[in-house]
Amino acid sequence: MQDVFIGFTSITWKMLIMYGIGGILIWLAIKKQYEPMLLLPIGFGAILVNLPLAIAWEHEGVPGFLRVLYDAGIANELFPLLIFIAVGAMIDFGPLFRNPLMIFFGAAAQFGIFATMIIATLLGFDLKTAASIGIIGAADGPTAIYVATKFAKDYLAPISVAAYSYMSLVPLIQPPVIRLLTTKEERRIHMPLHEKQSPQWLRVLFPILVTMTAGIIAPISVPLVGSLMFGNLIRESGVLERLSQTAQNELAYLVTLLLGITIGGSMSAEKFLNKDTILILVMGLVAFIFDTAGGVLFAKLFNLFLPRERKINPMIGACGISAFPMSARVIQKMANEEERGNIILMQAIGANVSGQLGSIIAGGLVLALVPLLVK
Amino acid sequence: MDGIIEILRNASSTEQAIGVSVGGLIGVFATLAFFFVLIVAADRFSKH
Repeated sequence: MQDVFIGFTSITWKMLIMYGIGGILIWLAIKKQYEPMLLLPIGFGAILVNLPLAIAWEHEGVPGFLRVLYDAGIANELFPLLIFIAVGAMIDFGPLFRNPLMIFFGAAAQFGIFATMIIATLLGFDLKTAASIGIIGAADGPTAIYVATKFAKDYLAPISVAAYSYMSLVPLIQPPVIRLLTTKEERRIHMPLHEKQSPQWLRVLFPILVTMTAGIIAPISVPLVGSLMFGNLIRESGVLERLSQTAQNELAYLVTLLLGITIGGSMSAEKFLNKDTILILVMGLVAFIFDTAGGVLFAKLFNLFLPRERKINPMIGACGISAFPMSARVIQKMANEEERGNIILMQAIGANVSGQLGSIIAGGLVLALVPLLVK
Repeated sequence: MDGIIEILRNASSTEQAIGVSVGGLIGVFATLAFFFVLIVAADRFSKH
């Protein structure tokens, strides 16, 4: 008789909490439309894997479909890399080519990664786990998953949830930090628009050179950089329009769907409900705040050396994170609110695509440097 | 360089994190600076 009711008798309070967390993620996706393509599958996956006996994960030694997906796409890093091909096909480096100075904000806004990594070690995490937590600050879900898979598999679920949740919360996180660090006058700075078109040979050569450079500086970053730049090369080649569209649409949607439910599937109550998860979620927020602050303060520093007519609106610095194109849109909206008609979108997008470059290079460097210090 | 790595291997996690941060930030800036030079050079080249 007990076997008949095993579904009821196996439920624990931790499972009930996980149903609540799954429900909240689904609610955020549907009601608030925060990254619905990811949060909804993650939320549902979290419920699925915490149902009695976790049949969707494994039953009597036989892997369930979530486990099969996990082994096929997360454990071997395939899904994040496929997402990168899709993201690469979506990126237009044109605005960066027109405003090459913006590239430095893609470096400055990675400050949050490293500041958070240091804080994480102070809180007792080992270096590899701290590095994985810091990478949440890359504001780049696939990079966060990629690094966590290499360094901290046990924390993959909270790191992924934090990375994607905060990416969707960029419109709430960035504006107060920017207002705190800038004056109204600075936020009203106009920037001249460069209309020049970049030559096609540069657009084609750039992804190839970026891949080669990254491969020489940090060979371990090649899968990350290479897949992103492969997608971009497909886009810019001009002869693979259908492949480019497929990468941007079908590939992106399909892999995002599988990635989301698989991450949710890794959120078993035993692994997810602990003090570390809460710490990781808090530190993810800290990473985003430091990223934004790093970018803005760097822009202010830059301005000290620029003539009056070429000053940079320091809000642009905040776009150096990888949350593309959300961060650029947020900054343009703020600029317009400060002074109607102030258009800095192109410069913001230039900084934002630099953030994409900066985040994968930072991820690659972390992957290269950390193993030199700890085995 | 090997000396610094050896010292950091025997350091605390926080000191190691500071080392990775310094190296990482320098690396990101240097790499993106190289891309900056590439873009500017390409721009100059395309004008000729």
